[in-house]
Amino acid sequence: MKFAIALFSAAHAPSSRRALLFARAALADGHEIVRLFFYQDGVYNASDALVTPQDELDLPKQWRTFIDEQKLDGVVCIAAALRRGALNTEEAKRYQRDAVSISAPWELSGLGQLHDAVQDADRLICFGGA
Amino acid sequence: MAKSLLIVSRQSPWSGPGAREALDIVLAGGAFDLPIGLLFLDDGVLQLAAGQNAKALQQKDLSANLQALPMFGVEELFYCAESANARGLGQLSLDEAQPLSAEHITALIDRYDQVITL
Amino acid sequence: MSTLHVLSHSPFGDDRLNSCLRLLGSADALLLSGDAVYALQPDSAPFFALHDKKIRLFVLLEDIQARAIEVPEWAEAIDYPAFVELSIHHDKVNSWL
Repeated sequence: MKFAIALFSAAHAPSSRRALLFARAALADGHEIVRLFFYQDGVYNASDALVTPQDELDLPKQWRTFIDEQKLDGVVCIAAALRRGALNTEEAKRYQRDAVSISAPWELSGLGQLHDAVQDADRLICFGGA
Repeated sequence: MAKSLLIVSRQSPWSGPGAREALDIVLAGGAFDLPIGLLFLDDGVLQLAAGQNAKALQQKDLSANLQALPMFGVEELFYCAESANARGLGQLSLDEAQPLSAEHITALIDRYDQVITL
Repeated sequence: MSTLHVLSHSPFGDDRLNSCLRLLGSADALLLSGDAVYALQPDSAPFFALHDKKIRLFVLLEDIQARAIEVPEWAEAIDYPAFVELSIHHDKVNSWL
């Protein structure tokens, strides 16, 4: 089965951790993840700028490791990211901002990537809210 | 054949980016000629209330985007009749939106290949 | 056709559970996750509503354990592998974000 997983909540939301655990379980079960798409507050899961105390769950780091190790396609919606101040080097330069918080393996792209994933996958699973 | 996607919009227009970001998914899908449907449910029906004034809150007026949906090829527009009645909504600002009963909404969700409820 | 609905908000002071139950199809299933598991608080209105509705009801094990709520025999506690299976068994997943 091919899954598209979309995340709409920030890293501190319990639903973000659930998304990661679901994604891990899907791969462990031999399924494929065609894309991880981060929208709305989900963009914060891709941020390099989040600082987590050592004794707490560092979700952005776990997402990054997961994507790197499993060679997944991690896309952050560019419009949602800009609106929330999550910029990569290119966008920071374009909008003349000093703060860069999005870097590889995350890619900033449009909602077309979400639609593309929905078309390609057998199942779309969304996580967010609380 | 392209997979169909139903967007269920449940947020009121001025409670944050929810209404706008739900609509953006619909517009993007329409721009790619995909079969997209939009259902306004619960507080989402408040986006269709007549006579709203976005300027009073220094916000963007979404109603122009809503009116433009058919031009983007999105003609499957619905709202929950019960949600609208519960909120005392009489005249709605989007003529193309069809009222649906709970039963018909269940069937609607069934009809679509995928759904995003935000 | 059937849909797996997923809720993650507390049912108290939130209308997602009520709206979901209104729209649930006869072949659909419901997974309670996060704070939505509070709907299984005994003697609460959501508890009775779920009991009376007689639906295929699932609850995420970690969330019910964290909140020390008992799983009634008319609901099934599941882990993540089972969650994945459930999402495949049904034709689509509708998360009430």
